[in-house]
Amino acid sequence: MSADTLTTLPEGGAAPLAPPSGARQVWRRLRARPAAVAGGAVVVLLVLVAAGAPLLAALEGQDTTTYHAALLDSRAGAVPLGHFGGISGQHWLGVEPGTGRDLFARLVYGARTSLAIALGATVLQVVVGVALGLAAGLGNRFVDALLSRVTDVFVTMPALVFTIALLAIVPSGFPRPVLLALVLGLLAWGGTAKIVRAQVLAHKSLDYVAASKLAGSSTWRTARRELLPALVAPVLTYAAIQLPTNIVSEAGLSFLGIGVTPPTSSWGQMLSSAATWYQADSAYVLLPALLLFVTVLAFTVFADGVRVALDPRAAGRLGVGTRKERRAEARKAAGAGAADAAGSVSGSAAVTATADAPGSANGPAAASGSSAAAAAADSGSGSGEEKGGAR
Amino acid sequence: MHRLSVTPRNLGVIAVGLALAGGAVACGPKSADSAAKSGTDAAPHKGGTLYVLNNQPQTNFDPARLYTSGGGNIPSLVYRTLTTRNRANGAAGNKVVPDLATDTGTPSKDATVWTYHLKDGLKYQDGTPVTAADIKYGIERSFAPELSGGAPYLRDWLVGAQDYQGPYKDPKGLPAIQTPDAKTIVFHLNKPEGDFPLLATQTSFSPVPKAKDTGTKYADHPVSTGPYEVVSNQNNGEHIVLKRNPEWSRATDDQRQAYPDTIDVQSGLDQAVINQRLSAGVGKDADAVTTDTNLGPAELAKVTGDKALASRVGTGHFGYTDYLAFNPKVKPFDNIKVREAIAYAVDRSTVVDADGGSALAEPATTFLPPQAAFGYTPYDPFPAGASGDPAKAKELLKEAGYPHGLTVTLTHDTNKGGEEGPEVATAIQDALKKAGITVKLDGLEHNAYDDKVYSVKTEPGLFLAGWGADWPSGGPFLGPIFDGRQIVKDGYNFNSAQLNDPSVNNEIDAINKITDLSAAAKRWGALDKKIGAQALTVPLVHPVYKRLYGKDIRNVVISDWTGVLDVSQVAVK
Repeated sequence: MSADTLTTLPEGGAAPLAPPSGARQVWRRLRARPAAVAGGAVVVLLVLVAAGAPLLAALEGQDTTTYHAALLDSRAGAVPLGHFGGISGQHWLGVEPGTGRDLFARLVYGARTSLAIALGATVLQVVVGVALGLAAGLGNRFVDALLSRVTDVFVTMPALVFTIALLAIVPSGFPRPVLLALVLGLLAWGGTAKIVRAQVLAHKSLDYVAASKLAGSSTWRTARRELLPALVAPVLTYAAIQLPTNIVSEAGLSFLGIGVTPPTSSWGQMLSSAATWYQADSAYVLLPALLLFVTVLAFTVFADGVRVALDPRAAGRLGVGTRKERRAEARKAAGAGAADAAGSVSGSAAVTATADAPGSANGPAAASGSSAAAAAADSGSGSGEEKGGAR
Repeated sequence: MHRLSVTPRNLGVIAVGLALAGGAVACGPKSADSAAKSGTDAAPHKGGTLYVLNNQPQTNFDPARLYTSGGGNIPSLVYRTLTTRNRANGAAGNKVVPDLATDTGTPSKDATVWTYHLKDGLKYQDGTPVTAADIKYGIERSFAPELSGGAPYLRDWLVGAQDYQGPYKDPKGLPAIQTPDAKTIVFHLNKPEGDFPLLATQTSFSPVPKAKDTGTKYADHPVSTGPYEVVSNQNNGEHIVLKRNPEWSRATDDQRQAYPDTIDVQSGLDQAVINQRLSAGVGKDADAVTTDTNLGPAELAKVTGDKALASRVGTGHFGYTDYLAFNPKVKPFDNIKVREAIAYAVDRSTVVDADGGSALAEPATTFLPPQAAFGYTPYDPFPAGASGDPAKAKELLKEAGYPHGLTVTLTHDTNKGGEEGPEVATAIQDALKKAGITVKLDGLEHNAYDDKVYSVKTEPGLFLAGWGADWPSGGPFLGPIFDGRQIVKDGYNFNSAQLNDPSVNNEIDAINKITDLSAAAKRWGALDKKIGAQALTVPLVHPVYKRLYGKDIRNVVISDWTGVLDVSQVAVK
């Protein structure tokens, strides 16, 4: 084989692990999926809202901490006066029971907290996961065994219990959002590491990598030049799935009262204080709950779109994507072995299944998986392992 | 009341505080007038089963181990004591009345010797007569280390009781308690204690027949003197079933009504579940009450809009004060002007709302609760109106040398919805901001919080605290907080200001000699006012307790002593 064929082989060849083609192609494929575009738009909007929180609050003329005792019915448990949580021209989404703090301001600032923590945690998960996954995949047998066992420990660890314990012992002076990002990030990198390791192992045996080695490249150079580009698609996809999981985790910890400290607002903190009010002031509960729901859904749909756009063939094999796309993929595969492939990886549907995949061959699994994907970090990493193994 | 053996007492007080914070212990249904109404519109029916739905189990159901105020609610159905609290609505319920004794006690001239005579015809559930020696034995049991818990006062008050190890190790007993005949019991105290009749309401003053004492197992089948006897006690008080005691006679007990035939106390229920069950009132829940679960702000908001439900809410005023505590040994709180500035800056209207609104908390400017029995004397040394006076606070800060404001740290409990919790802390933070004081919050988990703020070694400069007394009197309310001899160096210390002022200490001693409780109350009120001017605390609110009771519940009586509906008075339709 010449050097030329070496570089072209992965793109044109029939290898199942084709690296992504050009960015323009990815964008074209992403655009063809309205759900993903809508999800992406919501994500962009949320990021803008979070970034512009001070501006938005100033526009409304409120802040997150000022009390408004006059807006509460003190005799009735300090519930907001007026309708639907005290919505008015001054307070666009009403005020908080017990304090009279402005809910719109707290929500937009809460978006900032929640997204920043989730983003920080996800970046940390990717960095740690890629580094350890690469090291395990490229290292000798001893390094691989050691790192893989360490990864196993982190994947199987009851993260919630561990997080609670960690948060309890750190002094209260430490900035809470940073701490939350650190704890969430450093506890949940196992899935990424496993995916990266599996990818590296699969690629390592491919000719183009072997050729790079034969040509005298160091391990580090091979990793950087040949392997990392091939990792972009799966890692990006997995990160996009982890992000909403991290948002939910932050909300969960704040809900349990060990998240951000007062008077900082986050969606989880708001849900937590709102939990008892669902009958007396339902607006207070609905707002953060709805936002959290929309955010997680948008991120998940978007992540799925990105995944398919980056690697349409893999997505076809996994039985995700629209029915039309799947039918096209099935025709291409011409029947041979396609059916069993779809069956064998139904577990992966938990990660990738979306709302636009009802009625598929693995319908029930996909339906139950889509809720699990949003809620459970464990199911995400577990499926990741399965996916690695399937290859 | 000085030289307290610190640990057990503090544990007890903390237990009370904790329970209150969790909405668990104290309080109850019904404003006085609506209680009176339901008492008259239907003659109480005798018989039936009363269900008590509680969150906290009634653990250690042994008279030597229970730490109660006024004999407790459920315990008082089984254990009669020398004296007891008056079973009446409101302020009248703060009175102490005779129970086993013929009167509330005869003091010697200096209130160091107290003599009681037992009523005639007192019997245990097995028909044997109650003797003064049994009461002495019951008290001696409470000193046994095997039976931990209980109030520690007697160890401090009785002559030569400091190192007594209980009747199992030391059968000779306590010479400070004498029983000249079967119906007379005499207590010799090492200092004057005008409050002794109030202490004699506690369950350790209940008789235990020596022959029936099974030690640590006594709690499972105690020998009753009250209107009910224990049928079963599962999992250390998680589920207690009581039935009528045939040997109890209303002729010797004018306090307990004992209408139902059976009382079933189920604990370990979630508080939201208890309130939901009581409001729905399905089946047996119509015959149910709770003695430890308050309505929270959101539940109250819902109940307020529902007339039928609102008529089933009882209101109780347990003597309790939530306050900002200063440690004047920490800068800048050594400067009284800074403390005064904070007192002016505090906005009590937002604190009240943080505690659930005006139905669940009343603004406080005095340290003593607003009840005559405590000696309540209205005063406000730093009048700042309903919502604070930040301008006056700024002025004081300037005088104190902080013209550009200052930054302080407020330590609080992270327990949500608690009276020392984050809601109150952020309300204070917002109010002080208006006066140029930046408040940093230091939230600690409940136990860590208690350990930090109640130790003189780690006590922060500013924190949230609350206090309730073991009986309705100024002594147990002011003593532990302001008596210099009660500063505890190596244990839980509640004298947070570490005030050791001889004039205050002397006045406390002088009032303890007074056996006329209402005369003593006046002096406690004056003392409170005098201490209040030093701005060692900023009283924030006196909590109010609202509780639901079932549809078929009648004769609801809520005394200020307990703030909770009295189970011994309740009838089931």
